[in-house]
Amino acid sequence: MNLSIKQLFGRKPKSSNIAKQRLKLVITQDRVDVDDRFMTRLHHELAEVLAKYFEFSASSVKMNLKQEGNSYILVADFPYTKFHDMSMRK
Amino acid sequence: MGKVIVVTSGKGGVGKTTSAANLGTALALLGKSVVLVDADVGLRNLDIVMGLESRVVYTSMDVIEKECELNKALVRDRRVNGLMLLAASQKNNKDDMQPEHMKAICDNLRTTYDFILVDSPAGIERGFRNASAGADEAIVVTTPDVSAIRDADRIIGLLQNAEIEPINLVINRFSPQLVGNGSMMDQADVLDILNIDLIGVVPEDSGVITSTNRGIPLVYEDGSPGAQAYMRIARRLTGQRIPIPDLEQKGLFSSLLNWFTKNR
Ligand SMILES: Nc1ncnc2c1ncn2[C@@H]1O[C@H](COP(=O)(O)OP(=O)(O)O)[C@@H](O)[C@H]1O
Ligand SMILES: [Mg+2]
Repeated sequence: MNLSIKQLFGRKPKSSNIAKQRLKLVITQDRVDVDDRFMTRLHHELAEVLAKYFEFSASSVKMNLKQEGNSYILVADFPYTKFHDMSMRK
Repeated sequence: MGKVIVVTSGKGGVGKTTSAANLGTALALLGKSVVLVDADVGLRNLDIVMGLESRVVYTSMDVIEKECELNKALVRDRRVNGLMLLAASQKNNKDDMQPEHMKAICDNLRTTYDFILVDSPAGIERGFRNASAGADEAIVVTTPDVSAIRDADRIIGLLQNAEIEPINLVINRFSPQLVGNGSMMDQADVLDILNIDLIGVVPEDSGVITSTNRGIPLVYEDGSPGAQAYMRIARRLTGQRIPIPDLEQKGLFSSLLNWFTKNR
């Protein structure tokens, strides 16, 4: 028998948790929609981190947020030309 | 130099006017000099919530149109020292009010008073822009439901763009019972989403409705939970450090259930 306490009491997921999850998604989208600077900022910060590992030309980078079902997916293409040699680092 | 704080929300009916009235009165009870400015032009309510509607002669529009001096347009609240109201025009001449007008009024008032609380209309358009034009800081009021929180997030973005800082959050109409049984988001949930500083949580309190009926702000009723919450927020606005009590009230059964489901 593999019944959880929740199933035993016939509990549905708490509606407050559902509200929170839905809000987080929609607000993410709202913020991107209204704030063009958001993507630019994200782009810069991601590029900064990735540049430690790869070499890529800034102009080839593509980023966008797309919706799939009830989640949003950040799709980022950073085509790299060279992989930095990590053995040089501690 | 006084502080100008806009009380705003995005969504209507979440408690901006109630919060402005109670925080203004509470600050005056704490010995501060305060002006409550109604910026909800065409839908003014702060005067009636404060119980001062019969004494309003001039409005901010009369000041803008130079029909009267700013000082003469202020209605003195006789129940407490240092509390004034500047009413909004009830005529639907919204377009006559410009952000520069509101800014000029706020800049003038701040030379004399400690706190200027501006009660904003709902929405993100003209009325909001006018209300926030002279503000140094903001209080964003939300209720713990999806539409109010989503709209609060929009407003927070606009306030941040306008470099209004700090932006403090009031969670209004909080119900410990509903949070306890999992049908209302708690403080942590709301803060996790909105990511700004919390200045207080005001419980759902039927006293808000009866006090509004009478035109006597709730904070005069010492014992009520809503009054205590507003008094604590007012103290925080004056710089006192007062912890935010956990209003969450879990029944024994739901606590046990939570414990089991978390630890299983
Ligand atoms: N904490 C509370 N408990 C119970 N009723 C409240 C509370 N806060 C506000 N209300 C009620 O909600 C309604 C809307 O409040 P109001 O302050 O006018 O909102 P807003 O100015 O944001 O439109 C009013 O009827 C008010 O009495
Ligand atoms: Mg209002």
